[in-house]
This record gives sequence, structure tokens and C-alpha cells, in this order.
Amino acid sequence: MPVDKSQIIEKESVVVDGIELTADWNRMFLTRVVSAYEDDLMERTTSIAGAESLGWCYQCGQCVPVCPVDAAGGSYGPLRVFRKVQQGIDLLDDPDLWKCTTCAQCLRVCPKTVNMIDIMPALREVAVLDGKVPDELQDAFTNTFEYGNPLGESQRKRADWAKESGQNVAVMAEIKRPVDLLWYVGSYPSYHARGKDASKALARVLNQLGADFGILGTEEKDDCDSFRLAGEKGLFEEFAEYNIKIFNKYQFNKIFLTDPHALNAFRKQYPEYGGNFDVVHYTTYLAPLMGNLPFSKKLNYKVTFHDPCYLGRHNGEFEAPRQCLKAIPGVEVIEMGRCREQSFCCGGGGGGMWLDGFMADHVNERLSENRVREAVETGADVLAVCCPYEVSRFEDAVKSTGNEGKLVVRDIAELIAEALG
Amino acid sequence: MPSKKILVIGGGPSGLEVARGIADLGYQAILVEKRDRLGGTPDEAQYAALTPDLRNAEEAIREMIEPVENNPNVEIMLNTLVTGSEGSAGNFRVKALQLGKPVEINAGAVVVCTGFQHFDPGRETQKYGYYEHDDVITLVDCEKLLKAHNFVRPSNGEKPKRVCFIQCVGSRDRQIGNEYCSKVCCGVASKEAIEIRQQAPDCKVYIFYIDMRMYGYWENEIYWPAQEKYKVNYIKGIATEIVKKGDKLLVKGEDTTLRRPMEVEMDMVILSVGMEPSSGTRDMAKIFGLKQNKYGFIETTGGALETVSTEVPGVFAVGACTGPADLEDTVSAAGRAVMKSIAFLRKRELVETI
Repeated sequence: MPVDKSQIIEKESVVVDGIELTADWNRMFLTRVVSAYEDDLMERTTSIAGAESLGWCYQCGQCVPVCPVDAAGGSYGPLRVFRKVQQGIDLLDDPDLWKCTTCAQCLRVCPKTVNMIDIMPALREVAVLDGKVPDELQDAFTNTFEYGNPLGESQRKRADWAKESGQNVAVMAEIKRPVDLLWYVGSYPSYHARGKDASKALARVLNQLGADFGILGTEEKDDCDSFRLAGEKGLFEEFAEYNIKIFNKYQFNKIFLTDPHALNAFRKQYPEYGGNFDVVHYTTYLAPLMGNLPFSKKLNYKVTFHDPCYLGRHNGEFEAPRQCLKAIPGVEVIEMGRCREQSFCCGGGGGGMWLDGFMADHVNERLSENRVREAVETGADVLAVCCPYEVSRFEDAVKSTGNEGKLVVRDIAELIAEALG
Repeated sequence: MPSKKILVIGGGPSGLEVARGIADLGYQAILVEKRDRLGGTPDEAQYAALTPDLRNAEEAIREMIEPVENNPNVEIMLNTLVTGSEGSAGNFRVKALQLGKPVEINAGAVVVCTGFQHFDPGRETQKYGYYEHDDVITLVDCEKLLKAHNFVRPSNGEKPKRVCFIQCVGSRDRQIGNEYCSKVCCGVASKEAIEIRQQAPDCKVYIFYIDMRMYGYWENEIYWPAQEKYKVNYIKGIATEIVKKGDKLLVKGEDTTLRRPMEVEMDMVILSVGMEPSSGTRDMAKIFGLKQNKYGFIETTGGALETVSTEVPGVFAVGACTGPADLEDTVSAAGRAVMKSIAFLRKRELVETI
């Protein structure tokens, strides 16, 4: 909201308790009286398909203390968003439209099922169609549209990590035979330096287990689930059709995934587009097979595990990552206070991955910094993750919070591979 | 000579249900009503629809009246005002005026069903100006407008575009003396809000409240539909005063979740007035020597576990004459009073037979 200058009182100098306060140090604001509760805005907003439940809030306030954006100083939560609309602030023109990471903490505790996971994509879609999108998010949309991945990397390089790994990684288009696991690697694990580390480690683990798997290589494109949640439904649909077509080209038992966001899309969204696939996250696949791995090295790490929102709260998998970690020789798992269903978002979901600059203007700290502090408090040496958004986010946060040397961030696959010696 | 008849005082929902129960069990009820017709407050105040099910009030009350009219076990005495009582349990000689003429009614037991009256917001004129502003009305006035399908501004007959309810008027207030919650007003206001939205879909409705008290199923049957389906705006923070501004009303208060003052223009304001003991209830308490609590309601003897017996043997009290009560409470307590009053007479019979 624009600042009304007439509401500001600022004196050249005043003395308070013997201390002289000049200019903006003595700034005060006149009381802002609510003069109208915007009549049509709430109805207009909640008439958008998907956004209906925003109007159901009865202001119990349970959502606010669990909202990671609020915890990071962003004054947020469905209650606050509801109140803003009730006061006549149009979300389509307000930064609040882009703050939500769709982490689903609020929905977990909301007695009225005010569902930000439906509200946000619905409203953002309208904003996207109106061209009201933060620039950096628009860049990610454009990159994905042009290159098939938000990093803007060449499609031809998508399987370079596999060559670099020295591992035997079959590419479906080349082997021309059915496989047990079609490994959908995802964009960050294919291109990002730290994502590639995890992919290489995971390939090694799969080979040690004698798994029958293949990747799509240069045929693979982004799952776009986070773009859907950021309001780019058109992009999501286009890519869904493409991915389903590619998946249907090959014979396999399961789609094996690195990325919980892709898991969410394939499991919950793709059936609407005619894609019915059995999908499994890599930790879910590995957990029962951990005893078959020939470990040769004891790690002696204290590890704390960060539940990814889209693996845990959204898709109910809390045990498998822990089982994987506990089966690694020498690993001691220490839980953070906010774990499992209560896990605290890294800030990457729902478009947050491409809104760091925007968010910096609206929060006091990054969500990932808040989380890293919690991880450090446990006394752990390693923050273990299993979502490709997290490694880079948390590594940055370890640096920015001055915890370098105290905590390292590792994908679970990397830890397993390390213990293989 | 002891009487086996039971005198039921008051022809509203509680009295009707008590009389019907007594008759159903084969005992004789004498139903006394001071007005010239049965139906009590829902009829007299012309309620539009009942809370919580929005049932047509006239139809529902008629359904309660039918089983007692022309019932051989119920003697109905209309236009009859109880003025005194002599005797005691088993043998009450109750004095009354029927159309101004003195009559005496003999009864073995008495059930007081004299109900409540709506709080008169004139006692709060400094805040809400009920008698100053035509467009400030009460829940009761609103019932009449809704029943007539004529929800318009009393000042000019125009359709209102924005109306609000102010909760807790005359309830939960030490200065007024009514410290209790009137229990039904949150539900009734939400129910009326739904009816307003049904009858005048273009009219925006706001409810200013301290806390919404929607017990049991009222939560999901009224409050949630009012908000979710009928888009009623609930604002936590009660209005403190109403000021006239042109032909509108400026409602002033504090929005407590925003922690900001609000001054909002409304076309109409509906005061959610609570319950007080009716004059009949106060009179009957005096006539039968019944203990009243500090608010004037008749006190029953056993707290939560005994809701109809009074300290006077043979005299029972039901429904809103004992404290704020909704229809469900009232009808339930009526059944209990039937059981207690008949049991009382039968015990005496047994003693006398022995």
C-alpha cells in the first residue's frame, strides 16, 4: 500500500527522556482508521475457481505460527492474507501473492481447510495471464519454455552428468529394451553442480544394487510442478503432455525419481492428463534394499534430516529417508524440533526457487537460513536432504549464517555412496 | 380436595410442549396464556425462521399448537393472567383474571413456562442510538422485515446495500447487569444474515463480534454456511458507537485482529439483543415464592443436573424463564418437567393410598 505522507508526523527535533531525537528518529504515524471493508473484492477473489476456500477463514490464527514465511519476518499465513483481502487489498497487485511456498504447513493445521495449495496457483494464474509476474520468476518460465529446464541449460547436455559419472547409465532411446526403473532425473540433478554430484552417487548406488534402470537423457524435460504452483498452468500442461508421451514410448515397471516435486506432479496431476504411472522416490526404493549394499566405510557423522515438503507433508513419506540414513554405518540421526509433518520449508517450493531476490525485499532472513540455524542447534555435522532444490539453498544458507565448517549439506545418495568406500 | 391436574403457565414453546407431554401420558393439563392466542414469543414477535434449521417459524409453532388444541386432556385458558396463589403442593388454588374477571384454578402441580423478553436496547442509547436512528433495529425487528419479505431501510424504504450486526447487545455486560451470554444471538444473527443474503443478494452483510458462540451443530449448520456459502463477513471486534453521517450510519469500533480502529458506513445496523427474564417470569417468581438469581431468572435447584425443579415443592420451571435457552434446550427441559411433575403427583397419590 502506498504511504500516505499526511499520516506521518516528523519533527525537526524532540527530546524524549533527556535524549534528543532528530528527524526520522522521532517519526510517528497517525492512526490509520479502517474506513471500509472492501465489498466485492473478497467475493471476486473467492469466485476464482480454486480460490474459494480463502473466504472460509474464521481467524483462529493457527496458520500463522507454522508459516515459514511469517517465521522469516514476512508477516504471512492464510489468516493474514484473508484479512488483507477483507480490507480491500487486491492480491493480484500485492507481493503477498508470491510469498507462499505452498509448503502446506498451514493446511495441516487449518480447521476450516483453507487451502493455499489450491488458492495460490488459481490466483497466480490470473496474475500470470495479466503479465503481473516478478521478473526473476518470469525468467525461469521463459528458460523452461525455451530450453526445457529453468536453468536455461542446453537440452543436449542433459545427460552429461551420466557420462561424467563413469557409471553405467543406460539411455532408453539407445538400449531399446524394457527396464525395471525409468529414472526421471529432473532438471537440477541433471545440470546443477551439486545436483549432479547426487545423481552420480545415486547411479553408483543403483549399480551396486544391480538395479535395472534407464534414463531418458536428452529426451527428458522439466516436470514443471513448481511452475504450476507459481501460476504457469499452461507451461505445466504443455510439458505434462510431452512427458507423458515420452514415458509412453518406453516399457518400464516404475518411474524412479530424484525430485519430490516431480513425484507430486506425476502422482497427483498426470492422471488428469491421461498419465497413470507407478512412481517411487529414490529413498522409498532404497530403504528396503539398504541391507544389500556392500558398505566398506564407517562415516561417523551426526546427521540431521530435513523432510522435503513435497515428499513428507504432500506425499506422506517420512520413514524411508530415515531408514536409508540409519542403515549407513556410523551415521547417528538427530532430529530437529520441526521434523516430519512439522518440517520447516526451505523456501524453494511453489515458485520460491526463482524468487529469492523478490523475497529478500519482503522477509528478514531466507527461509533456508532459519532452517540451517535449527540444524546447527542440533549439533549435527551433516544436514541430509533428498530434494534437489535443497542442496544449493542450504549450502548458501550455511555460508550466509556463518556456519561454514560447522555443517555440511549432503544428499542422502551422496552419504550412501560415500559409505560404499 | 387434592387435584391431579397440572397448571401450565405460558403458551409458548415450553408451555405447549409441557401440556402436550402431560396429555400424552393421560394426565390433565390446564394451559394458561395471557395473550389471546397460543405460540408465545416466536408468534408474538413474528419470527421469520427458526434457528438453526431455518424452518418457517409460523409453521413450526402451529405444529406445536395443534396437539394441544381440542385435546381432551388439555384445558386452554386464553386471555388469562395469573395474579396470585394460595395453598401448596398437591392443592394449589391459583387466582387469575380471565378477560378481567377473577377465576380460581385448582391444581396439584404448577409448571412455570413464562419465558424471556428481548433486551431493550434503549437501555444502551448512548452507544447505539436505537431510539434515535430509524435504521438501527434489533434482531427482533429484523425478523419482522424478513418474515414480510420486505428487508428495507426503515428511514426511507430503500433497499440497503450494506448492513451489519453488532453482537452481545445487552449481554455479557456488568454495567447493564446482564453478565451472562444470551446463548442464541450469535446463531440468530448468522441465521438472519443468511436470510438477508437470500432475500437481497446484493446487500453486503457484516457481523461485528467479540467471539462467535456457535454451540454444537450451530457451528456447521449456520456459522460455516453463512461465511462459506452466503459470504457473510465476520469481523472480530465489536462496534462501540453509531454516529449519523448524512443518510448513513457510521459504525465505530476496533478491529481487534488488525489492531486498528474502524469507522465503517452502513445503511442499517441490527443490534443482536439478548434475553432477559420476561415480566411474566418475574411476576410468577413472586406469586409462587420462587427464588430468582441476580438477573431475575427463576433458579432451579440442582445446577446442571436438575434443570426444572424449584425450591417450592410442586412448582417447576421450564425453558427461558430459568435462563437463556434455545428451542432445543426448551423442548428438552419441557419433557423433563412433564416427567417430574407427574412423578410428583403419583408419589403423593401412593402416599395417600397407603
